[in-house]
Amino acid sequence: MGMTRRSFLGASGGLLGFLGLDLGAAAIAADEKAAALARCRITTSICPYCGVGCGLLVMSEERGGRRAVVHVEGDPDHPINEGALCPKGSSLVQLANGEKRLRKVLYRAPGATDFVEKDWNWAAREIAKRIKATRDATFVEKNAQGQTVNRTTAIASVGSAAMDNEECWLYQKMLRGLGLVAIEHQARLCHSSTVASLAASFGRGAMTNHWIDIQNSDCILIMGSNPAENHPLSFRWVMKAKEKGATVICVDPRFTRSAAAADIYAPLRAGTDIAFLGGMIKYILDGDLIHKDYVLHYTNASFLVKEGFAFDEAAGVFSGYDPQTRKYNAETWQYQLDEAGEPRKDPTLQHPQCVYQLLKKHYARYTLEKVSSVTGTPVADLKRVYEAYSRTGAPDKAGTILYAMGWTQHTVGTQYIRTMAVVQLLLGNIGRAGGGVNAMRGESNVQGSTDHALLFHILPGYLKIPTAPQQTLEVYNAQGAPKTIGKLSANWWQNYPKYAVSFLKAMFGDAARKENEFGYAWLPKIEAGANHSWLAIFDEMYRGNVKGFLCWGQNPACSGANAHKTRAALAKLDWLVNVNIFPSESGWFFQDRNLRDPETDKPIRPEDIKTEVFVLPCAASLEKEGSLTNSGRWMQWRYKAAEPPGDARPDAEIMNLIFREIRKLYATEGGKCPEPILNLKWDYFDEKGEFDPHAVAKEINGYFLEDVKVGDQTFRKGQLVPGFANLQADGTTSCGCWIYCGSYTDKGNMAARRRREDPSGIGLYPEWSWCWPVNRRILYNRASVDLQGRPWDPKRPTLAWKDGKWVGDVPDGPWPPMAVDPEKTKYPFIMCNEGHARLFAAGLADGPFPEHYEPLESPLERNPFNGQMVNPATKLWKGPADKCSECGSKEFPYVCTTYRLTEHWQTGVMTRHTPWLLELQPQLFVEMSWELAREKGIRPGDQVRVCSKRGAVTAIALPTARLKPLVVMGRTIHQVGLPWCFGWKMPEDGSGGDSANLLTPNVGDANTMIPESKVFLVDINKLDTRKHPQAAL
Amino acid sequence: MSKAVLVDLTRCIGCRACQVACKEWNRLPAENTRFRGLGGGYENPPALTGKTFTRITFHEVVGANGALERSVFVKRQCMHCLEPACASACPVTALEKVKANGSSLGPVIYHPDRCMGCRYCMLACPFNVPTLQWDRVVPYIRKCTFCFDRQTRPIACTEVNGTGLSDESRGRYSAALQTPACVKTCPTGALQFGEREALLLEARRRIAERRKTGGGWQYVDHIYGEKEVGGTSWMYLSSVPFEKIGFRTDLGERPYPSYTLPAIKAVPGAVLGVGAVLGAAYWLSQRKGEKSEKKETAKV
Repeated sequence: MGMTRRSFLGASGGLLGFLGLDLGAAAIAADEKAAALARCRITTSICPYCGVGCGLLVMSEERGGRRAVVHVEGDPDHPINEGALCPKGSSLVQLANGEKRLRKVLYRAPGATDFVEKDWNWAAREIAKRIKATRDATFVEKNAQGQTVNRTTAIASVGSAAMDNEECWLYQKMLRGLGLVAIEHQARLCHSSTVASLAASFGRGAMTNHWIDIQNSDCILIMGSNPAENHPLSFRWVMKAKEKGATVICVDPRFTRSAAAADIYAPLRAGTDIAFLGGMIKYILDGDLIHKDYVLHYTNASFLVKEGFAFDEAAGVFSGYDPQTRKYNAETWQYQLDEAGEPRKDPTLQHPQCVYQLLKKHYARYTLEKVSSVTGTPVADLKRVYEAYSRTGAPDKAGTILYAMGWTQHTVGTQYIRTMAVVQLLLGNIGRAGGGVNAMRGESNVQGSTDHALLFHILPGYLKIPTAPQQTLEVYNAQGAPKTIGKLSANWWQNYPKYAVSFLKAMFGDAARKENEFGYAWLPKIEAGANHSWLAIFDEMYRGNVKGFLCWGQNPACSGANAHKTRAALAKLDWLVNVNIFPSESGWFFQDRNLRDPETDKPIRPEDIKTEVFVLPCAASLEKEGSLTNSGRWMQWRYKAAEPPGDARPDAEIMNLIFREIRKLYATEGGKCPEPILNLKWDYFDEKGEFDPHAVAKEINGYFLEDVKVGDQTFRKGQLVPGFANLQADGTTSCGCWIYCGSYTDKGNMAARRRREDPSGIGLYPEWSWCWPVNRRILYNRASVDLQGRPWDPKRPTLAWKDGKWVGDVPDGPWPPMAVDPEKTKYPFIMCNEGHARLFAAGLADGPFPEHYEPLESPLERNPFNGQMVNPATKLWKGPADKCSECGSKEFPYVCTTYRLTEHWQTGVMTRHTPWLLELQPQLFVEMSWELAREKGIRPGDQVRVCSKRGAVTAIALPTARLKPLVVMGRTIHQVGLPWCFGWKMPEDGSGGDSANLLTPNVGDANTMIPESKVFLVDINKLDTRKHPQAAL
Repeated sequence: MSKAVLVDLTRCIGCRACQVACKEWNRLPAENTRFRGLGGGYENPPALTGKTFTRITFHEVVGANGALERSVFVKRQCMHCLEPACASACPVTALEKVKANGSSLGPVIYHPDRCMGCRYCMLACPFNVPTLQWDRVVPYIRKCTFCFDRQTRPIACTEVNGTGLSDESRGRYSAALQTPACVKTCPTGALQFGEREALLLEARRRIAERRKTGGGWQYVDHIYGEKEVGGTSWMYLSSVPFEKIGFRTDLGERPYPSYTLPAIKAVPGAVLGVGAVLGAAYWLSQRKGEKSEKKETAKV
């Protein structure tokens, strides 16, 4: 008998398969799989999840006339992940082929309970009509002072860090062409405080080093972050550092999966990191553990500050504070300058007005005992951390900080980061391998989306958004370029006008001419000091002042602090356009059974919601070509592996569909201020509407628009600009984003490079992709050498001056070392107008030195460090939906923090739709100490209600030894923690729980308005699931 | 000459990339799970099943005063024993320690077409690994395959993005595409794939090196799987005693088949021997019968 068991099964498999019985004959499947993989085309891409930017190998094949992804694994050639991937990256095939991928354009009519399907032409026309109608009805050409502002605040946009660089740049172009100013996205919520803080400290607001460089560190401080969980491939390099003998320190309210690998773990009360680090500053200064030469020559430690500067401990404010406006006048924070305009300095660091002595004085209060009492960290733990970390003050040692939301998302977020910047400068850790301030960004292209300015207050390349009083380009340029302080300061920002004009040429092309100030009047202008940040947008939306909303690749219903207010705000819109790859709580907000009025707590029903909702299906990352920039500033090119499903389209093409219709309407019907729309340079699509990402990438890099002579080099018209040093302020060059100049040149697409050579030996990989600025891998690297140009650590040289030139990384400014050529040299921090890094930073809204303030919702009734409870310079929202608990509240006695999990990502729209990831983390849980659990009669696995003044969620209790009660100011304080990745939309039975942002307060940082999602007060009680079945999971 | 994996538990961060990569490579569906806080952490799914070939268990090692000493994450999967109990117990050779040129390649593989569903393998395995597809009408045994298909029929990659790879890259890709999916995807390199002997040397080197440099992560001076049940292909290093993190330390060093091998080896001899004895007894009794018949016939 020729029939084997296998062929019998194979034959009957068909029948039984039909009957729904899958026999899983593994051997047959294996052969088929091998055959399928052998047929595949292999392309590379970059993971769409966190900001590490891991390389992928994507295998795809034709299936039913459409190219589909068959298998994804790590790219072995990629220098960061070397073939490895975290669970999210490993699951990408399920994301690409997800059953619930949006495939059709959907429309929800006012009052409707569900969507109906539509087509693209209809959607483009209808959306364009609404944009035009709302814009024309609300456009402000001249403000009340008669100044030309050309803006509308009635249309707002959020999104997206998930888009490619080319799409981000195009999107900001389209929005600004339309006159929008309320433009925000993920970056506001995640690292806006980083940008302000690092720019104020060093000159640029980005991660100073890069991922692979972590391996070069002698001491890694993990604080305000959890990289093992949220940037898993960063931990590959942490482990390598450990193998080489590095000490890993983890400071966190919870003992996390990062803490599990740390040599030293110290707990602390959420919201007290400035106290903790202030104590470290005092420890370093008291022990004279500073890197003396570095501090003296490269920081502003020796600079004298004006005599009027002071900190009033009783009032808790610096000099110059106006309690009415809650703002500082920074006059008394300025340097003393001599007659020649040079800053007065004391190289002995003894003068009472020198920054060094002021620093010592400021942190004298941050004793071990005081810090321990405020943070709850035992004194022994503080000492252990301080002692280990401050050893990196030795010139040949380097320490690095890995931080993220635990630091950024506070009312004092900018100052948290500033405190560490001060520590790093005192220890001489900035600008060198293994050192730096490593701000770990959380989305695959949030660095790019920030660089390309999807934020209200900037233009691409961190140019400033023009304000109403800046009525001419001349005034705008003059105010954009800071004054040089000190003749040896490069003050690179003095080139501001070149970048601004080149940007305008990229925006308006030939229509931007000298005669019309290159179209400057067409750029929308905000009122001076106006706030159009995330919290402000949703407040305006809640008040009914925002009529139309573009929610593009973001999920504010789950990511917005005080989510009940955010969700209720969506219900007040006239129209909402939601672009995404999966259904989300935002696009489907009207179906939320828990949607309620935050003031009355009454449910808002779909029939009462007039908002028209347009859901547009877009392509996922594997389905389009373009570049994205990881947290280490590496701009990486990725390729299209598959077609988007159904009617889904790449974001850029969706923008074009809509913008083309808008242009048509304005061309035929006229309307308010049509010039910026009609004159916007928009030639990146062919007649079929297909997008050419290379065209935009080149636009961003920039062109010579005429023959231009720069120095002794002549460039021809049409040539790509090789670097931003060649950009001009006279309209002869264009450049979409000056810091990306050099990324796409006559030598080709630099971002697409895949060369594995690393001559440095310290993991720079100078020809793998391209990084901004000018492919400089470690920022401020001229501070990694002494005045003679010799590396502080010859074993890990970032840069060295040899035979009259720099060797190693791209030097941060070509000038020779300070002692080698004192005439031609420039100070190493070229983006600071005084050329020195700032221990004392006068440009921030809430003080030149970080000071401990309590969070908005604090368990204490007074601030132990000074007479001011909350950051005195931050805006407090006091509307009826802006509820907050009182400090020391009995109603909400526990401190709550929020966090992420390895297995999910951000609001979970992508990962909750990936079954392999939902399997790992299926439901919302709350972690608490065993002590608290026993006090409240809560057992592991119980369903509990966690509530704040703003809202409540049901979660599954996880009592754990990884959280312990802390003794703070003599009292026992309990802390609990919630992951925030869940949402009611998926799993569809609601068993996953909802977003922790229903509990968080809508208050922001004083400089950037990043919400304080990391600390607030809650109560927690066991849920009686029989009494409240609707609240159960 | 046998492939093995060294699992360094001091490098595992419990991310579960291995779990997902395994499901991805083997096209296994997700399970419907609930949050249970197993192991004081995030364990899920709660057991190895027909849909889950590997999983991470979470362990919190707590000191006498209730303080957390260590949080440890342990990868569980088939140990691919050098002399597998499952292969020995299986009556129909559905489980096989693959050999080539007389020496084992590493994987213990399963032939579903030979399986008769008796589940002796499940009873025999000291690590409780093989599981049955309880939810199927015709269930098979399922377990980690050690990515036998990746090892023996790797994806061939000579170009990416339409461009040929350099020789150096080609070598790198080739090695990576032959590596088991879990090992390749591990972010921190907690899993290392290679020849068993070389991995044992590496393990001993790590233990000695760490002792020399000091610090708090001293390995327990034992390579789990070096000798247990006669040696396994998946071996572990830990800085926490193995019995505290869910490893059986009572298994002994004898390969499990060796317990029954003497008895089974004796079977042919016993069959022949007993057969011979019974045959002799029969012959004797026949002869006895013939003799008495003759006597009877003679009388007449």
